Amino acid sequence: MLKRIIPSLLLRGGRLVKGVAYADHRDAGRPDTTARAHNAQGADELLLLDVDAGRERREPDYASITSVARACFMPLTVGGGIHTLEIAQRCMNAGADKICLTTTALDDPGLIGRLAHVFGTQAIVIGLDVITTCAGRRLYDHRSAQAINGIAWDEWLKRAVGEGAGEVRLMAVDREGGRGGLDTALFAEASALVDVPIILEGGAGSLDQVAAAMKAGADAIALGTMLVFSDNNIFKVKSFLKNAGLEMRL
Amino acid sequence: MQVAIVDYGAGNIESVRNAFHAAGAESAIAREPDAILAADRLVLPGVGAAGPAAERLVRNGLAEALKEAVRRRGRPMLGICLGMELLAERLLEFGEHRGLGWLPGEVVHLRDAGVTRARVPHMGWSVVEPAGPAVRFFQAPERMRTFYFCHSYTLLTAAAEAIAARTTYDKSLVAAVFDGTVLATQFHPEKSQVNGQKLIRAFLDWTP
Repeated sequence: MLKRIIPSLLLRGGRLVKGVAYADHRDAGRPDTTARAHNAQGADELLLLDVDAGRERREPDYASITSVARACFMPLTVGGGIHTLEIAQRCMNAGADKICLTTTALDDPGLIGRLAHVFGTQAIVIGLDVITTCAGRRLYDHRSAQAINGIAWDEWLKRAVGEGAGEVRLMAVDREGGRGGLDTALFAEASALVDVPIILEGGAGSLDQVAAAMKAGADAIALGTMLVFSDNNIFKVKSFLKNAGLEMRL
Repeated sequence: MQVAIVDYGAGNIESVRNAFHAAGAESAIAREPDAILAADRLVLPGVGAAGPAAERLVRNGLAEALKEAVRRRGRPMLGICLGMELLAERLLEFGEHRGLGWLPGEVVHLRDAGVTRARVPHMGWSVVEPAGPAVRFFQAPERMRTFYFCHSYTLLTAAAEAIAARTTYDKSLVAAVFDGTVLATQFHPEKSQVNGQKLIRAFLDWTP
C-alpha cells in the first residue's frame, strides 16, 4: 500500500484557519477552493475539522462540508461537534466518508460503537490530541485548552479502538504549528498498542521532516501549517517524498 | 440514459452522485423496486455493516428487483465495496448473513483471510492488477491503476473466471469482479480521483 499525505483543514466561521497548538488562529482561505486545489494536486484524503463546534455546543457547518465534498474526489473525513448518531448521519449526507470523533468520544465512549454499528468501523476515526510536557504524555482538551488527567492517553487509545474505531488521528498538540518536526516516537508508541491504521499530525515544517517521519515508519501523515503558510503544495510534497525513495501515488 | 444509485441506507450516496456527475452522468436515487426496474444502469454502493445492509435489501424488495433488472434483463450494474461483497452467498460479519448469492463464495474478515502482517482496515491507495475481459475497464500504466480501498472484509470465491482484478495487501485479495453484466469493485472509484473517474466513464460507455 502507498503512503498517504492528508491535508488537515480547520474550519471556523465558514473559512479555513490555522494556528499554533490549537490557538492564535489566522485566516487560511476558502474551504471549497482549497479542497479543489488539494484534489487537483493529488491529496490522498482530506480531513476537515470544525474547530468551534464542540466548544460552542452547536452542530457542524454542513454548508461548508457540502461545498468541500463536491470538490473532493478523495475520501473526506469530517470532525468537530459530532456527539450524536443523527449529527454523524447529517455529515455523511453532506458528503463525508468518515467521521472523526475526538472530545465527543471522551465525553461518551459508547458513541464510537453506536456510529461503527451503522457506518462500519472503517468509517470511524478516533482523534487523539496528545500533549507532551516534562510530566509526560497526556490527552488534551482543546475546548478548555487543558490537559486531561482522568484517563491516560495510551489507555484511551486502546479503549477507543476496542469500542470500534477503525483508524486513529494522532495529533501531537505541543508540536502543532511549530514546524519543529513530527513526533515519530509518539507514532511508534501508538503503533505498538493498536493494529488499525494511524495518521500522525503536528509539527511538520519541512519536506525533510516529513520524509524522515515516513522513513521512521509513519505511513500516513496529516499536514496543516506546512501547506498553508509556505510555498509547498501537495504535488511538491509527494514528488519530494517519492524522490526520497518512499512509495507515493503521483 | 437513466442511472440509478440504489439507496438501502448503507451508502455514501452523495459521494457516488458527485463522482457520476463529474463523469458526465446525472443519476437518480432508487429507494423502491420500481425505480430499479426503470433504470438503464445501476450502481450498488455501500459502506457499513454487511448484515443489516443485506437484510434491508431483501426486506424492501430491492434484492428481487436487482435480480430482475440485472440478472434477467441484463442491465449493467456497478457494485462498490459493500456493494461487491453483497454479491456473495454468505457474509461472515458479526454472525452469518445471506448475500445476494450471485457469486459463489463468502466474505470473511481480512484477519481470517490470512492478513496478519498488515493493519486492518486496509485503508489507503493500492495498485490493482486486472485480468481477463475486464481489462477494458482499467488503464494500462501502473500509476493509473491505484485506487482507494477502505475495508476490513474480503471476498473468497472459487469462481476464478469472475475475478477481474487483484491487489496485494499482505495477501493477494480480490479487488474487482466481472460477471455477466456486473462489474463490482472492492475499492472506491468515486473516491479515486482521476483513476476512478476513468473507470466510471468506462462503465458508462460499456454496452454488454
